[in-house]
Amino acid sequence: MSPSATRERLSPPITATQVQLFIFTVACVAAFVWSWIFLGMSFSGITSSFGDVSRLVKRMVPPDFSNLSNIVDATIETVWMAVMGTAGAIVLSFPLALGAARNTSPHPTIRYICRTVISLTRAVPDLVLGAVFVSALSIGPLPGVLALAIHSIGMVGKLFADAIEQAAEAPREATISVGATRRQTTRASILPQAMPSMIATALFRLEINIRASTVLGLVGAGGIGVLIQTSLRSLDYESALGAVAVIFVVVTAVELLSVRIRSAILGDAAALAQSSRHGWFSQRIIARDTRVNRKSFETRALSPPWTWDRMFSTATISGFLLALAVAVLTIDIDWARTVPLMPQIITVFGDLFPPDFTTVRSEMVTGIVESVVIAVIATGLGLLIAVPLSLLAARNIMTKRILSTVTRLVMLAFRGIPELIIAVIFVSAMGLGPVPGTLALTVVTASFSAKLFAEALEEVDAAPREAVLAVGAGKIQEFFASVVPQFMPAFTGHFLYILDVNLRSSTVLGIVGGGGIGFLLLNSMRVLEFQTTGAIVMAIFGIVLAIELIGNWVRQLLR
Amino acid sequence: MQVINTVADSDVAVKVTSLSKRFPNGTLALDNVSLEVPRGQVLALIGLSGSGKSTLLRTLNGLHAPTGGKVVVQGTDVSTANGKSLRKLRHHIGFVFQQFGLVGRATCMENVLVGSLGSLRGPRLGVRSYPVALRRKALEQLERVGLSEQAFQRADTLSGGQMQRVAIARSLMQEPSVLLADEPVASLDPESANQVLDLILRIAREDGMTVICTLHQVELALGWSDRIVGLRAGQVVLDQMNAQLSQDQVMEVYRATGTPMQFETESALQSA
Ligand SMILES: Nc1ncnc2c1ncn2[C@@H]1O[C@H](COP(=O)(O)OP(=O)(O)OP(=O)(O)O)[C@@H](O)[C@H]1O
Ligand SMILES: [Mg+2]
Repeated sequence: MSPSATRERLSPPITATQVQLFIFTVACVAAFVWSWIFLGMSFSGITSSFGDVSRLVKRMVPPDFSNLSNIVDATIETVWMAVMGTAGAIVLSFPLALGAARNTSPHPTIRYICRTVISLTRAVPDLVLGAVFVSALSIGPLPGVLALAIHSIGMVGKLFADAIEQAAEAPREATISVGATRRQTTRASILPQAMPSMIATALFRLEINIRASTVLGLVGAGGIGVLIQTSLRSLDYESALGAVAVIFVVVTAVELLSVRIRSAILGDAAALAQSSRHGWFSQRIIARDTRVNRKSFETRALSPPWTWDRMFSTATISGFLLALAVAVLTIDIDWARTVPLMPQIITVFGDLFPPDFTTVRSEMVTGIVESVVIAVIATGLGLLIAVPLSLLAARNIMTKRILSTVTRLVMLAFRGIPELIIAVIFVSAMGLGPVPGTLALTVVTASFSAKLFAEALEEVDAAPREAVLAVGAGKIQEFFASVVPQFMPAFTGHFLYILDVNLRSSTVLGIVGGGGIGFLLLNSMRVLEFQTTGAIVMAIFGIVLAIELIGNWVRQLLR
Repeated sequence: MQVINTVADSDVAVKVTSLSKRFPNGTLALDNVSLEVPRGQVLALIGLSGSGKSTLLRTLNGLHAPTGGKVVVQGTDVSTANGKSLRKLRHHIGFVFQQFGLVGRATCMENVLVGSLGSLRGPRLGVRSYPVALRRKALEQLERVGLSEQAFQRADTLSGGQMQRVAIARSLMQEPSVLLADEPVASLDPESANQVLDLILRIAREDGMTVICTLHQVELALGWSDRIVGLRAGQVVLDQMNAQLSQDQVMEVYRATGTPMQFETESALQSA
């Protein structure tokens, strides 16, 4: 064998996929470096910024709760907005998802239309929708509810469609073969299977919408957000912290609750039973389910037995409907006055067209570039912080329980404050501009991605890890040889997702003075130049679409 | 019961003395086990599910710490070894798992190269991060198990039998003097099972490697090994050279002991 042939066989062949991934990686690093220089970021600058923020936070303590009844009222309104917005999203998403899912769509054209509508709604940030609706319906919670409902279709509709597509084909064919109609087929075989996943999606969206509705007030669309901004503007820092504290409690409580309920509904009960930590309780549940199942089999019961999962799902749905009823009845919306105004929404949307790209072209270009730059830096820096944090938080990597628990608590604490609120605080501490916006987004990115990464790390298969240790490898060698290759796809997937989310967020940071296109957007609406607004929305839309295309390309490389 | 301790100490690959292992939850998985395996012997370990076979193997390379007694492998006391010395010892003990333990997304070559980590300093990621000499050696091991064609194929694209052969190649990369195999063929079809066992046996003979292998199929154990050790509820209940054994004697290991295992035993007998 010739030497060159030997060498060839000793190195893996370079595939087109690897080349493309390499190009993507280089492009990401280059984009980060360029953005860093563009914004004139420096580590000493960052350190001194955090000094400013901590000085401001010091002035915020002790929190002032003298305004508590107002805060609580606003918080309740915020929660009701989220509940109604989520309900609206579910109602709107359901038919769209049925139309968009491969196995239930009546026609390819309809499928294509439904898919497009779903991605369109996701591309326009909820705050932008909120601002547009406010100009049609005047300020109040209703524009907020509508904004949440429409923007949420993007996620809810997509995940509903995925759930429907994943419902196994076999039962469906069996139902068709007994001569059922299409609608009967959908009802009898697909929906029952998709149900748990759909409930989990709805709950997850409710959690997201509660965060989102806390800041809708910034554009006049109701909720608690405006309270914080007013307090900060009037230098009443203690009251601001009072409101932030209440939001923090609500958001954290909802996250903890939603995570528990979702994992119960998605049938993790069995997995829980295997781990000794939850032994007693899950044993009881499983024992009870077995008993109930056996009984219903013995008595030849004709309706499904009330297993734990079924009780849980039913309780969740009833709880949500109850909350919705209370929300509709008690929220401060003058239905009689606002419902007739609805057609104006269409007028306002009409005013956005034709988009006018001429008036503020140079400002627009700067704004958009700034938004992208903010998102790129926040994503890069956030990941740099998130990776070590996630290693500390993952219980299968960090075997010292105390450390992982503390890390988890810190991450949870940061997730408890919605990102725009963090941005408002950073802007108050450091002044207007893209840097405070970037840093606020970085903090949020770090705490969210650390959570995603820690979850992905905990899913890493333990068998290869043990096998690598058994050959005499050290801990760090084992980590690189068995954990890293398993973690890579999840890391890249989450990275793309986070970049996508940050691009959307950075387009609205300007609303609170955090830099980017958002300021121009809001301003154009204030001065009623709706065609400019239209142009900006189109531009945002274009960016979001571009990143989605890039994401699809890279995901397909990783398959 | 015949005790085999007629060999000089230097020719003993594995020596287990009054070994017991009690798990934190109270299960006594190994109960006063003593065993001496001379160099180059191929030993089959049999016993009912839960009798402690895996626990014994894992204790031999320090994946489990014993709660009593002593384990000496290649002259190193595993029970007292820690950190560096344990890693050094493990580097010379191959371990083949029932579920292969391959990194699915990595290529076969990289999985085999992992076997050399014990001789390297610092972490490695990707085939190119290993020295060329080691890569050449890895390729030789893959050739030995008949998979050099698949060197740069991802491990999760292989069949079960091929995966187990890659796992064996990884162990061979360690140039082990002792090979521990925990049900290496339990998730394989009969044809691949034979291939894999033949491969292990051939290499054991070629390299003079000591093999301790748990098996569930009595016929395989009889046909394949030099010596059979039977465990029941953590105790050694059979320890004989193969030539002196009949199938009935071996089945005796699976006989009821008046414990709750009775049910399993009967079904095992019926299927035999
Ligand atoms: N990590 C552990 N913690 C607690 N008990 C364990 C643990 N590992 C094994 N055991 C218990 O020790 C006993 C012996 O288990 P072991 O896995 O060694 O059996 P085995 O002979 O390999 O069985 P199988 O043929 O099913 O693989 C069993 O009762 C088992 O439940
Ligand atoms: Mg076992």
